[in-house]
Amino acid sequence: MRRPRPYTDPYLAGIGVGLVLLAAYVVVGQGLGASGAFASVVASGTAALQGTARAAMVPAVAPYLPFGVSSPLRDWLVLELMGVVAGGFASAWLAGRLRRDTERGGGVSSAQRMTAAIAGGVVMGFGAKLARGCTSGQALSGGALLSVGSWIFIATCFAAGYACAPLARRLWR
Amino acid sequence: MTRLHTALALVAAVLAGAAGAADLASPVASRQPLAFIGAPDLAARIMRGDATLRLFDLRTADAYQQFHIPTAVHAAPADLADVPLEPGTDVVLYGDDRRALTEGVRAMPAERRSRVRVLREGLSEWLGRVHEPRLAADATPEERAEFERAAAMSRFFGGMPLANVPRAEVPAGYWTGTPRSDDLLAAAALQSVATIRRRGC
Amino acid sequence: MTPLTETGWLGAAGALAAAPVIGFAFGWFLERGGLGSAPKLAGQFYLTDLTVFKVMFSALLTAMLGAFWLDRLGVLQLDLVYLPETFALPQAVGGALFGVGFLVAGLCPGTSCVAAATGRRDGLGVIVGMLIGVWLFNAAFVWVEPLYSATPMGSIRLTDLVDIPSGAGVAGVTALALIGFAVAGRIERADR
Repeated sequence: MRRPRPYTDPYLAGIGVGLVLLAAYVVVGQGLGASGAFASVVASGTAALQGTARAAMVPAVAPYLPFGVSSPLRDWLVLELMGVVAGGFASAWLAGRLRRDTERGGGVSSAQRMTAAIAGGVVMGFGAKLARGCTSGQALSGGALLSVGSWIFIATCFAAGYACAPLARRLWR
Repeated sequence: MTRLHTALALVAAVLAGAAGAADLASPVASRQPLAFIGAPDLAARIMRGDATLRLFDLRTADAYQQFHIPTAVHAAPADLADVPLEPGTDVVLYGDDRRALTEGVRAMPAERRSRVRVLREGLSEWLGRVHEPRLAADATPEERAEFERAAAMSRFFGGMPLANVPRAEVPAGYWTGTPRSDDLLAAAALQSVATIRRRGC
Repeated sequence: MTPLTETGWLGAAGALAAAPVIGFAFGWFLERGGLGSAPKLAGQFYLTDLTVFKVMFSALLTAMLGAFWLDRLGVLQLDLVYLPETFALPQAVGGALFGVGFLVAGLCPGTSCVAAATGRRDGLGVIVGMLIGVWLFNAAFVWVEPLYSATPMGSIRLTDLVDIPSGAGVAGVTALALIGFAVAGRIERADR
């Protein structure tokens, strides 16, 4: 097991992410994303459980099921996220940062942290569908294109996070 | 590290400053965000026989043959540059893919571009809102009134109004919200719309 | 010339093949910057670790400046790049909800995948939570729809809203970001 190496300078990592985003614009004419892939997976799961015809009648699900094809592999964002998993793994492996762990602040147990992770995820999943994106898709990709909605998202996302931070202090101290 | 940071910041500042200067000195024709028209509004104008309306179908010729919105003319996006248009005409475009629509808008002469409108959800929107308006079995009186109007319009175009549809198939906001085609993919599938590349974040 | 998919150089299959490659690079740099670690991300909200701000905005700046200049030089046709539609109210509300969830979870959708990929169980927890959250949204859609479809503004940029040339908008955002970086540096130094 390698000793964990220190993280890259955030500005350099950020420039790296920016170049990847630029490559996405140039190659496929769209930005990066993440929450859409989750939506796609849920849609496919819904179709698998309820049958595609019924799932296609659910307004929130229908856009993800063109012509009854319910394979998430057809979806660009899902394939992209699979790449994200591989890339994150590769980077951590080479830097000695692979570790089975439940990262948390000092004030909570692992179980409490997991509960918070799931709960936070639920709220994020709901919010991302409502906002039609997340930090990767709206804030980053839409933001770089100066989309109004993306910047609204950036503003309210960080404002809400900072506003509620004192309440969540126990989680992270 | 800080010297690298300062260097990067300088590069960014120079690129940004040059960007501002470049655009102020020789402004590029401002990109027109796609403007939309709703299918019911389009239908109303066609019904009136509005002579100032020119409607273009930017899909493939086969798709056009199979079904097109009445009074629509088939065109390739590039053709729109050569189409003679009187001043004061409104142009509406619809198609399968965003690229064709954007090219179509761009092909038009600059002074016309702000008057061009696009059907947000393409043919699916026409099919779902005009051709086959739907009324839930447990509709409210307001919804029935709206439906009667839409049904009359649908019959005008040879469509098929659907009354007594299960409530689950008439999404909230169908009669009051912005037009969506979320529940119209079955109809769209029948019309050989090209593969939708999933967008989203 | 580009985007390759919009100018006919790359088809649908090619676009799908490009997805995991692009994703790999994305995940790589996210992990390199430390964004696969929830305590590091959460530090953003306590002003102890401003990595999120630095990575996000240097990425935004890079892509924004790159896109502007590639467009100006005729290499990239920027108006063929998908610009998300603005729905002001639901994006404001959704953004706020997302921010709260982000604070509690410590990871966002993309970084949760990086965290999970590197062995962090909490990353997995966030992923599960998000699938549930999406499912809840679908189930509640009938009631949420009026908000979801409210205030549509089309595919509109900040520079369209205030009617300034896009280069001026780019310059303005860059200036704000650089100031932000300087402030971030001060905050972190003061915290030591």
